[in-house]
Amino acid sequence: MAEKKLILRVAEILIDELKLEDVTPETFDPEVDLIDELGIDSMDLTTVVLVLQDEYGVTIDEDDYPKLKTVRLIAEYIDEKLKEL
Amino acid sequence: MNIKRAEKPSVENIVQKHTMKFSKIIADPAIRERWEKVRRYFFLRESTYDMTNRCNIRCDGCYYYEGEKQFTGDNSDPVDWRALMKAEKERGITYVVLAGAEPSLVPELCRVCYDVIPLGSIATNGFKMIPESVGYKIHISVWGNDDTSRRVRNAKHLLERQIENYEGDSRAVFVYTFTRDNIGEIYDVMETLSRHECRVTFNIFSAPVGYAGTLRHDNASLSFARKAMMDVLAAYPDHVLFSPYNVVAHTHRLGLHDLFGCSYPRMNPSTDIGLGRSFRQYRTDLSWDRSASCCVPDTDCADCRHYASGSAVVTARLYRHASDPETFKAWLDYVDTYLAVWVVGYDKGKNLLERMTPPPGFEL
Repeated sequence: MAEKKLILRVAEILIDELKLEDVTPETFDPEVDLIDELGIDSMDLTTVVLVLQDEYGVTIDEDDYPKLKTVRLIAEYIDEKLKEL
Repeated sequence: MNIKRAEKPSVENIVQKHTMKFSKIIADPAIRERWEKVRRYFFLRESTYDMTNRCNIRCDGCYYYEGEKQFTGDNSDPVDWRALMKAEKERGITYVVLAGAEPSLVPELCRVCYDVIPLGSIATNGFKMIPESVGYKIHISVWGNDDTSRRVRNAKHLLERQIENYEGDSRAVFVYTFTRDNIGEIYDVMETLSRHECRVTFNIFSAPVGYAGTLRHDNASLSFARKAMMDVLAAYPDHVLFSPYNVVAHTHRLGLHDLFGCSYPRMNPSTDIGLGRSFRQYRTDLSWDRSASCCVPDTDCADCRHYASGSAVVTARLYRHASDPETFKAWLDYVDTYLAVWVVGYDKGKNLLERMTPPPGFEL
Protein backbone atom coordinates (compact mmCIF):
# COMPACT_ATOMS: atom_id res chain seq x y z
CA MET A 1 0.00 0.00 0.00
CA ALA A 2 1.49 3.35 -1.03
CA GLU A 3 1.74 6.11 1.53
CA LYS A 4 -0.66 9.02 1.37
CA LYS A 5 2.24 11.40 0.80
CA LEU A 6 3.25 9.53 -2.35
CA ILE A 7 -0.33 9.41 -3.62
CA LEU A 8 -0.66 13.17 -3.10
CA ARG A 9 2.59 13.83 -4.94
CA VAL A 10 1.56 11.67 -7.91
CA ALA A 11 -1.75 13.53 -8.05
CA GLU A 12 0.09 16.85 -7.92
CA ILE A 13 2.33 15.87 -10.84
CA LEU A 14 -0.69 14.76 -12.87
CA ILE A 15 -2.48 18.03 -12.17
CA ASP A 16 0.58 20.11 -13.07
CA GLU A 17 1.63 18.23 -16.19
CA LEU A 18 -1.84 17.78 -17.65
CA LYS A 19 -2.96 21.23 -16.55
CA LEU A 20 -6.07 19.86 -14.86
CA GLU A 21 -8.42 22.46 -13.45
CA ASP A 22 -10.80 22.52 -10.49
CA VAL A 23 -8.95 19.79 -8.64
CA THR A 24 -6.20 19.69 -6.00
CA PRO A 25 -4.03 16.79 -4.87
CA GLU A 26 -6.24 16.49 -1.82
CA THR A 27 -9.49 16.37 -3.82
CA PHE A 28 -8.15 14.14 -6.61
CA ASP A 29 -9.85 10.75 -6.24
CA PRO A 30 -6.96 8.25 -6.34
CA GLU A 31 -9.32 5.56 -7.65
CA VAL A 32 -10.44 7.48 -10.76
CA ASP A 33 -9.64 5.56 -13.94
CA LEU A 34 -7.28 7.94 -15.72
CA ILE A 35 -7.97 6.50 -19.15
CA ASP A 36 -11.68 5.72 -19.04
CA GLU A 37 -12.85 8.53 -16.81
CA LEU A 38 -10.28 11.28 -17.30
CA GLY A 39 -9.56 10.63 -20.99
CA ILE A 40 -5.78 10.49 -20.59
CA ASP A 41 -3.97 9.09 -23.61
CA SER A 42 -0.54 7.54 -24.09
CA MET A 43 1.22 10.85 -24.76
CA ASP A 44 -0.15 12.38 -21.56
CA LEU A 45 0.82 9.31 -19.60
CA THR A 46 4.33 9.27 -21.04
CA THR A 47 4.79 12.90 -20.03
CA VAL A 48 3.80 12.05 -16.47
CA VAL A 49 6.03 8.97 -16.50
CA LEU A 50 9.07 11.04 -17.51
CA VAL A 51 8.50 13.44 -14.61
CA LEU A 52 7.98 10.59 -12.15
CA GLN A 53 11.18 8.90 -13.32
CA ASP A 54 13.08 12.12 -12.72
CA GLU A 55 11.67 12.65 -9.29
CA TYR A 56 11.97 9.14 -7.90
CA GLY A 57 14.95 7.82 -9.85
CA VAL A 58 13.07 4.74 -11.01
CA THR A 59 12.58 3.28 -14.47
CA ILE A 60 9.02 2.85 -15.73
CA ASP A 61 8.90 0.51 -18.70
CA GLU A 62 6.66 1.38 -21.66
CA ASP A 63 5.18 -2.10 -21.38
CA ASP A 64 3.96 -1.27 -17.87
CA TYR A 65 1.81 1.70 -18.91
CA PRO A 66 -1.41 -0.34 -18.88
CA LYS A 67 -0.83 -0.99 -15.17
CA LEU A 68 -0.86 2.74 -14.41
CA LYS A 69 -4.60 3.19 -14.51
CA THR A 70 -5.19 5.23 -11.35
CA VAL A 71 -3.21 7.54 -9.11
CA ARG A 72 -3.20 4.84 -6.43
CA LEU A 73 -1.87 2.22 -8.85
CA ILE A 74 0.85 4.60 -10.05
CA ALA A 75 1.86 5.31 -6.45
CA GLU A 76 1.93 1.58 -5.64
CA TYR A 77 3.99 0.90 -8.76
CA ILE A 78 6.53 3.54 -7.74
CA ASP A 79 6.55 2.24 -4.19
CA GLU A 80 7.42 -1.23 -5.44
CA LYS A 81 10.15 0.15 -7.70
CA LEU A 82 11.64 2.12 -4.83
CA LYS A 83 11.83 -1.05 -2.74
CA GLU A 84 13.81 -2.70 -5.54
CA LEU A 85 16.48 0.02 -5.50
CA MET B 1 13.72 -7.20 -51.96
CA ASN B 2 16.77 -7.15 -49.76
CA ILE B 3 15.40 -5.78 -46.54
CA LYS B 4 16.07 -7.74 -43.36
CA ARG B 5 13.75 -7.73 -40.39
CA ALA B 6 15.33 -6.54 -37.18
CA GLU B 7 14.93 -7.71 -33.66
CA LYS B 8 12.78 -5.32 -31.71
CA PRO B 9 15.18 -3.34 -29.50
CA SER B 10 14.84 -4.56 -25.95
CA VAL B 11 13.41 -2.24 -23.36
CA GLU B 12 16.72 -2.56 -21.50
CA ASN B 13 18.67 -1.21 -24.47
CA ILE B 14 16.43 1.78 -24.79
CA VAL B 15 16.21 2.46 -21.09
CA GLN B 16 19.97 2.29 -20.69
CA LYS B 17 20.22 5.19 -23.06
CA HIS B 18 18.14 7.41 -20.78
CA THR B 19 21.36 8.94 -19.54
CA MET B 20 19.97 12.32 -18.69
CA LYS B 21 16.99 13.41 -16.64
CA PHE B 22 14.06 14.66 -18.70
CA SER B 23 13.94 17.86 -16.68
CA LYS B 24 17.54 18.52 -17.65
CA ILE B 25 16.86 17.85 -21.34
CA ILE B 26 14.01 20.35 -21.42
CA ALA B 27 16.01 22.92 -19.46
CA ASP B 28 17.54 23.94 -22.80
CA PRO B 29 15.41 26.98 -23.82
CA ALA B 30 15.11 25.95 -27.48
CA ILE B 31 14.02 22.44 -26.53
CA ARG B 32 11.61 23.66 -23.88
CA GLU B 33 9.99 26.15 -26.25
CA ARG B 34 9.43 23.46 -28.89
CA TRP B 35 8.26 20.91 -26.30
CA GLU B 36 5.66 23.34 -24.95
CA LYS B 37 4.59 24.13 -28.50
CA VAL B 38 3.97 20.53 -29.58
CA ARG B 39 2.54 19.14 -26.34
CA ARG B 40 -0.49 21.40 -26.68
CA TYR B 41 -1.63 19.04 -29.44
CA PHE B 42 -1.44 15.82 -27.45
CA PHE B 43 -5.24 15.92 -27.33
CA LEU B 44 -5.46 14.78 -30.97
CA ARG B 45 -7.13 11.35 -31.35
CA GLU B 46 -7.47 10.21 -34.93
CA SER B 47 -9.51 7.81 -36.95
CA THR B 48 -9.73 7.44 -40.73
CA TYR B 49 -12.63 7.12 -43.13
CA ASP B 50 -12.93 5.87 -46.68
CA MET B 51 -15.45 8.24 -48.24
CA THR B 52 -16.47 6.57 -51.51
CA ASN B 53 -15.41 3.61 -53.61
CA ARG B 54 -15.16 5.85 -56.66
CA CYS B 55 -12.07 7.55 -58.06
CA ASN B 56 -11.44 9.60 -61.17
CA ILE B 57 -8.03 8.07 -61.90
CA ARG B 58 -6.39 4.65 -61.48
CA CYS B 59 -2.85 4.56 -60.11
CA ASP B 60 -0.42 1.67 -60.11
CA GLY B 61 0.07 0.56 -56.50
CA CYS B 62 -3.00 2.39 -55.12
CA TYR B 63 -3.76 1.09 -51.64
CA TYR B 64 -7.51 1.53 -52.03
CA TYR B 65 -7.94 -0.92 -54.87
CA GLU B 66 -6.19 -3.71 -53.00
CA GLY B 67 -7.93 -6.14 -50.65
CA GLU B 68 -11.61 -6.38 -49.79
CA LYS B 69 -12.49 -2.78 -49.06
CA GLN B 70 -12.81 -1.76 -52.72
CA PHE B 71 -15.88 -4.03 -52.95
CA THR B 72 -17.66 -2.32 -50.07
CA GLY B 73 -20.82 -0.47 -51.04
CA ASP B 74 -21.06 3.29 -50.60
CA ASN B 75 -23.20 4.86 -47.94
CA SER B 76 -23.58 8.38 -49.25
CA ASP B 77 -26.38 9.46 -46.92
CA PRO B 78 -25.32 12.69 -45.14
CA VAL B 79 -27.63 11.87 -42.24
CA ASP B 80 -25.77 8.61 -41.58
CA TRP B 81 -22.41 10.35 -41.89
CA ARG B 82 -23.44 13.05 -39.45
CA ALA B 83 -24.60 10.39 -36.99
CA LEU B 84 -21.28 8.58 -37.38
CA MET B 85 -19.28 11.75 -36.77
CA LYS B 86 -21.31 12.57 -33.67
CA ALA B 87 -20.72 9.06 -32.35
CA GLU B 88 -17.01 9.38 -33.11
CA LYS B 89 -16.83 12.67 -31.26
CA GLU B 90 -18.67 11.08 -28.36
CA ARG B 91 -16.04 8.35 -28.04
CA GLY B 92 -13.24 10.91 -28.02
CA ILE B 93 -12.13 11.24 -31.64
CA THR B 94 -10.84 14.79 -32.21
CA TYR B 95 -9.21 14.40 -35.63
CA VAL B 96 -10.45 12.76 -38.84
CA VAL B 97 -8.54 11.65 -41.92
CA LEU B 98 -10.79 11.38 -44.98
CA ALA B 99 -9.19 9.20 -47.61
CA GLY B 100 -10.09 6.55 -50.22
CA ALA B 101 -10.91 6.32 -52.85
CA GLU B 102 -11.29 10.01 -53.82
CA PRO B 103 -12.98 12.28 -51.26
CA SER B 104 -13.26 15.23 -53.65
CA LEU B 105 -16.03 13.30 -55.43
CA VAL B 106 -18.21 13.56 -52.30
CA PRO B 107 -17.67 17.13 -51.06
CA GLU B 108 -21.02 17.20 -49.27
CA LEU B 109 -19.91 14.33 -47.04
CA CYS B 110 -16.59 16.05 -46.34
CA ARG B 111 -18.55 19.09 -45.25
CA VAL B 112 -20.70 17.04 -42.89
CA CYS B 113 -17.56 15.65 -41.25
CA TYR B 114 -16.07 19.13 -40.94
CA ASP B 115 -19.25 20.48 -39.35
CA VAL B 116 -19.04 17.94 -36.54
CA ILE B 117 -15.27 17.42 -36.08
CA PRO B 118 -13.42 20.53 -37.26
CA LEU B 119 -9.89 19.16 -37.18
CA GLY B 120 -8.80 16.83 -39.93
CA SER B 121 -7.30 16.29 -43.33
CA ILE B 122 -8.27 14.95 -46.72
CA ALA B 123 -6.10 12.84 -49.00
CA THR B 124 -6.87 13.73 -52.61
CA ASN B 125 -5.36 13.42 -56.07
CA GLY B 126 -6.08 17.14 -56.54
CA PHE B 127 -7.88 16.83 -59.87
CA LYS B 128 -11.04 18.35 -58.46
CA MET B 129 -10.88 21.16 -55.94
CA ILE B 130 -12.44 20.58 -52.54
CA PRO B 131 -14.58 23.60 -51.59
CA GLU B 132 -13.00 26.13 -49.27
CA SER B 133 -15.90 25.65 -46.86
CA VAL B 134 -14.23 22.38 -45.84
CA GLY B 135 -11.49 23.76 -43.61
CA TYR B 136 -9.38 20.64 -43.32
CA LYS B 137 -5.79 20.24 -44.43
CA ILE B 138 -5.74 19.02 -48.03
CA HIS B 139 -3.02 16.52 -48.91
CA ILE B 140 -2.48 16.45 -52.66
CA SER B 141 -0.66 13.37 -53.88
CA VAL B 142 2.19 13.94 -56.33
CA TRP B 143 3.90 10.92 -57.85
CA GLY B 144 6.51 12.53 -60.07
CA ASN B 145 6.43 14.84 -63.05
CA ASP B 146 3.64 14.96 -65.60
CA ASP B 147 5.22 12.30 -67.82
CA THR B 148 5.37 9.90 -64.90
CA SER B 149 1.83 10.75 -63.80
CA ARG B 150 0.58 9.98 -67.29
CA ARG B 151 2.35 6.63 -67.22
CA VAL B 152 1.68 5.50 -63.63
CA ARG B 153 -1.62 7.24 -62.92
CA ASN B 154 -3.11 7.57 -66.43
CA ALA B 155 -3.59 11.25 -65.70
CA LYS B 156 -2.66 14.04 -68.11
CA HIS B 157 -1.23 17.36 -66.88
CA LEU B 158 -1.89 16.32 -63.30
CA LEU B 159 0.66 18.56 -61.59
CA GLU B 160 -0.56 21.54 -63.61
CA ARG B 161 -4.15 20.84 -62.54
CA GLN B 162 -3.15 20.35 -58.91
CA ILE B 163 -1.33 23.69 -58.84
CA GLU B 164 -4.22 25.44 -60.57
CA ASN B 165 -6.62 24.12 -57.95
CA TYR B 166 -4.53 24.71 -54.84
CA GLU B 167 -2.00 27.47 -55.46
CA GLY B 168 -2.23 29.98 -52.60
CA ASP B 169 -4.56 27.74 -50.59
CA SER B 170 -3.34 27.64 -46.99
CA ARG B 171 -5.00 24.24 -46.52
CA ALA B 172 -2.84 22.59 -49.16
CA VAL B 173 0.19 20.38 -48.65
CA PHE B 174 1.60 18.62 -51.71
CA VAL B 175 2.72 15.12 -50.76
CA TYR B 176 5.48 13.87 -53.03
CA THR B 177 5.58 10.08 -52.95
CA PHE B 178 9.00 8.68 -53.73
CA THR B 179 8.66 5.45 -55.68
CA ARG B 180 11.64 3.45 -56.85
CA ASP B 181 11.61 5.11 -60.26
CA ASN B 182 10.70 8.79 -59.69
CA ILE B 183 13.35 9.85 -57.18
CA GLY B 184 15.37 12.12 -59.45
CA GLU B 185 12.23 13.91 -60.62
CA ILE B 186 11.83 15.61 -57.22
CA TYR B 187 14.40 18.25 -58.18
CA ASP B 188 12.33 19.59 -61.10
CA VAL B 189 8.98 19.06 -59.43
CA MET B 190 10.17 20.88 -56.32
CA GLU B 191 11.40 23.80 -58.39
CA THR B 192 7.96 24.06 -60.00
CA LEU B 193 6.06 23.78 -56.73
CA SER B 194 8.26 26.30 -54.93
CA ARG B 195 7.80 28.75 -57.81
CA HIS B 196 4.09 28.60 -57.09
CA GLU B 197 4.72 28.94 -53.31
CA CYS B 198 3.31 25.47 -52.63
CA ARG B 199 4.22 23.62 -49.42
CA VAL B 200 5.55 20.10 -49.87
CA THR B 201 6.10 17.07 -47.68
CA PHE B 202 7.43 13.63 -48.54
CA ASN B 203 6.06 10.13 -48.58
CA ILE B 204 7.74 6.85 -49.39
CA PHE B 205 5.85 4.37 -51.55
CA SER B 206 4.92 1.47 -49.30
CA ALA B 207 3.85 -1.60 -51.19
CA PRO B 208 0.37 -3.03 -50.73
CA VAL B 209 0.22 -6.69 -49.70
CA GLY B 210 1.08 -8.85 -52.70
CA TYR B 211 2.25 -5.92 -54.83
CA ALA B 212 4.79 -7.11 -57.41
CA GLY B 213 5.15 -3.96 -59.50
CA THR B 214 8.19 -1.81 -60.17
CA LEU B 215 7.50 0.95 -57.63
CA ARG B 216 8.56 -1.03 -54.57
CA HIS B 217 11.77 0.22 -52.95
CA ASP B 218 15.01 -1.63 -52.41
CA ASN B 219 18.01 -0.58 -50.34
CA ALA B 220 19.58 1.33 -53.23
CA SER B 221 16.45 3.35 -53.96
CA LEU B 222 15.97 4.12 -50.27
CA SER B 223 19.52 5.50 -50.13
CA PHE B 224 18.91 7.57 -53.24
CA ALA B 225 15.63 8.88 -51.82
CA ARG B 226 17.44 9.80 -48.59
CA LYS B 227 19.98 11.85 -50.48
CA ALA B 228 17.35 13.54 -52.63
CA MET B 229 15.24 14.44 -49.60
CA MET B 230 18.22 15.98 -47.80
CA ASP B 231 19.19 17.92 -50.94
CA VAL B 232 15.72 19.35 -51.41
CA LEU B 233 15.25 20.07 -47.72
CA ALA B 234 18.45 22.13 -47.76
CA ALA B 235 17.57 23.91 -50.99
CA TYR B 236 13.95 24.79 -50.14
CA PRO B 237 13.71 25.19 -46.36
CA ASP B 238 10.71 27.52 -46.63
CA HIS B 239 8.70 25.21 -48.84
CA VAL B 240 9.55 21.73 -47.57
CA LEU B 241 7.78 20.50 -44.43
CA PHE B 242 10.24 17.83 -43.33
CA SER B 243 13.24 17.34 -41.07
CA PRO B 244 16.41 15.27 -41.16
CA TYR B 245 14.85 12.87 -38.66
CA ASN B 246 11.84 12.44 -40.92
CA VAL B 247 14.31 11.52 -43.65
CA VAL B 248 15.95 8.91 -41.41
CA ALA B 249 12.69 7.40 -40.19
CA HIS B 250 11.22 7.03 -43.66
CA THR B 251 14.24 5.95 -45.68
CA HIS B 252 15.81 3.53 -43.21
CA ARG B 253 16.44 0.05 -44.58
CA LEU B 254 14.05 -1.13 -41.85
CA GLY B 255 10.43 -0.13 -42.02
CA LEU B 256 8.52 1.85 -39.42
CA HIS B 257 7.21 -1.22 -37.62
CA ASP B 258 10.66 -2.70 -37.15
CA LEU B 259 12.11 0.62 -36.03
CA PHE B 260 9.40 1.84 -33.72
CA GLY B 261 6.77 -0.85 -33.27
CA CYS B 262 3.53 0.05 -35.02
CA SER B 263 0.82 1.14 -32.62
CA TYR B 264 -2.15 0.81 -35.00
CA PRO B 265 -4.66 -1.94 -34.13
CA ARG B 266 -3.71 -4.08 -37.12
CA MET B 267 -0.26 -4.70 -35.61
CA ASN B 268 -1.01 -3.92 -31.98
CA PRO B 269 -3.28 -6.28 -30.03
CA SER B 270 -3.42 -4.04 -26.95
CA THR B 271 -6.61 -2.11 -26.31
CA ASP B 272 -5.38 -0.59 -23.06
CA ILE B 273 -4.33 2.87 -24.18
CA GLY B 274 -3.33 4.86 -27.27
CA LEU B 275 -4.10 4.04 -30.90
CA GLY B 276 -4.74 0.38 -30.13
CA ARG B 277 -7.66 1.52 -28.04
CA SER B 278 -9.15 4.42 -29.97
CA PHE B 279 -8.24 4.13 -33.66
CA ARG B 280 -10.71 2.86 -36.23
CA GLN B 281 -10.59 2.73 -40.00
CA TYR B 282 -14.06 2.98 -41.50
CA ARG B 283 -15.01 1.67 -44.89
CA THR B 284 -17.40 3.37 -47.28
CA ASP B 285 -20.40 1.54 -45.82
CA LEU B 286 -19.43 2.93 -42.37
CA SER B 287 -18.36 -0.46 -41.05
CA TRP B 288 -14.95 -1.09 -39.48
CA ASP B 289 -12.84 -4.10 -38.67
CA ARG B 290 -10.25 -3.95 -35.91
CA SER B 291 -8.05 -6.59 -37.50
CA ALA B 292 -7.70 -4.46 -40.64
CA SER B 293 -7.42 -1.07 -38.96
CA CYS B 294 -4.44 1.09 -39.73
CA CYS B 295 -3.91 4.38 -41.54
CA VAL B 296 -3.27 2.77 -44.93
CA PRO B 297 -4.97 -0.64 -44.91
CA ASP B 298 -3.59 -3.42 -47.09
CA THR B 299 -0.08 -2.02 -46.91
CA ASP B 300 2.54 -4.72 -46.46
CA CYS B 301 3.49 -3.92 -42.85
CA ALA B 302 7.13 -4.95 -43.33
CA ASP B 303 7.44 -2.40 -46.14
CA CYS B 304 5.49 0.41 -44.44
CA ARG B 305 7.25 3.77 -44.52
CA HIS B 306 4.09 5.73 -45.14
CA TYR B 307 4.06 9.35 -44.03
CA ALA B 308 0.66 8.96 -42.38
CA SER B 309 1.79 5.96 -40.42
CA GLY B 310 4.98 7.62 -39.24
CA SER B 311 3.06 10.63 -38.00
CA ALA B 312 1.44 8.43 -35.40
CA VAL B 313 4.01 5.67 -34.91
CA VAL B 314 7.10 7.88 -34.43
CA THR B 315 5.20 10.50 -32.45
CA ALA B 316 3.85 7.87 -30.04
CA ARG B 317 7.40 6.88 -29.10
CA LEU B 318 8.06 9.93 -26.97
CA TYR B 319 9.50 7.81 -24.16
CA ARG B 320 12.19 6.22 -26.32
CA HIS B 321 13.30 9.58 -27.64
CA ALA B 322 13.47 11.35 -24.28
CA SER B 323 16.91 9.89 -23.63
CA ASP B 324 19.34 12.69 -24.50
CA PRO B 325 19.11 16.17 -26.04
CA GLU B 326 19.98 15.18 -29.60
CA THR B 327 17.51 12.31 -29.83
CA PHE B 328 14.82 14.42 -28.22
CA LYS B 329 15.45 17.30 -30.62
CA ALA B 330 15.07 14.85 -33.50
CA TRP B 331 11.73 13.70 -32.12
CA LEU B 332 10.58 17.30 -31.61
CA ASP B 333 11.46 18.12 -35.23
CA TYR B 334 9.45 15.10 -36.34
CA VAL B 335 6.40 16.07 -34.27
CA ASP B 336 6.66 19.72 -35.31
CA THR B 337 6.67 18.55 -38.93
CA TYR B 338 3.75 16.20 -38.42
CA LEU B 339 1.64 18.96 -36.85
CA ALA B 340 2.47 21.43 -39.64
CA VAL B 341 1.45 18.87 -42.24
CA TRP B 342 -1.74 17.73 -40.55
CA VAL B 343 -3.16 20.63 -38.50
CA VAL B 344 -4.61 23.78 -40.04
CA GLY B 345 -3.03 26.90 -38.54
CA TYR B 346 0.04 25.16 -37.09
CA ASP B 347 3.26 26.75 -38.34
CA LYS B 348 6.40 24.69 -38.53
CA GLY B 349 9.44 26.04 -36.71
CA LYS B 350 13.02 25.86 -37.88
CA ASN B 351 14.38 22.35 -37.44
CA LEU B 352 16.38 22.04 -34.20
CA LEU B 353 18.73 19.52 -35.85
CA GLU B 354 20.24 19.98 -39.28
CA ARG B 355 21.94 16.58 -39.36
CA MET B 356 20.53 13.08 -39.36
CA THR B 357 20.45 11.18 -36.09
CA PRO B 358 19.71 7.45 -35.67
CA PRO B 359 16.48 6.06 -34.24
CA PRO B 360 16.80 4.78 -30.63
CA GLY B 361 18.45 1.38 -30.62
CA PHE B 362 19.50 1.45 -34.31
CA GLU B 363 22.18 2.75 -36.60
CA LEU B 364 21.56 5.39 -39.25
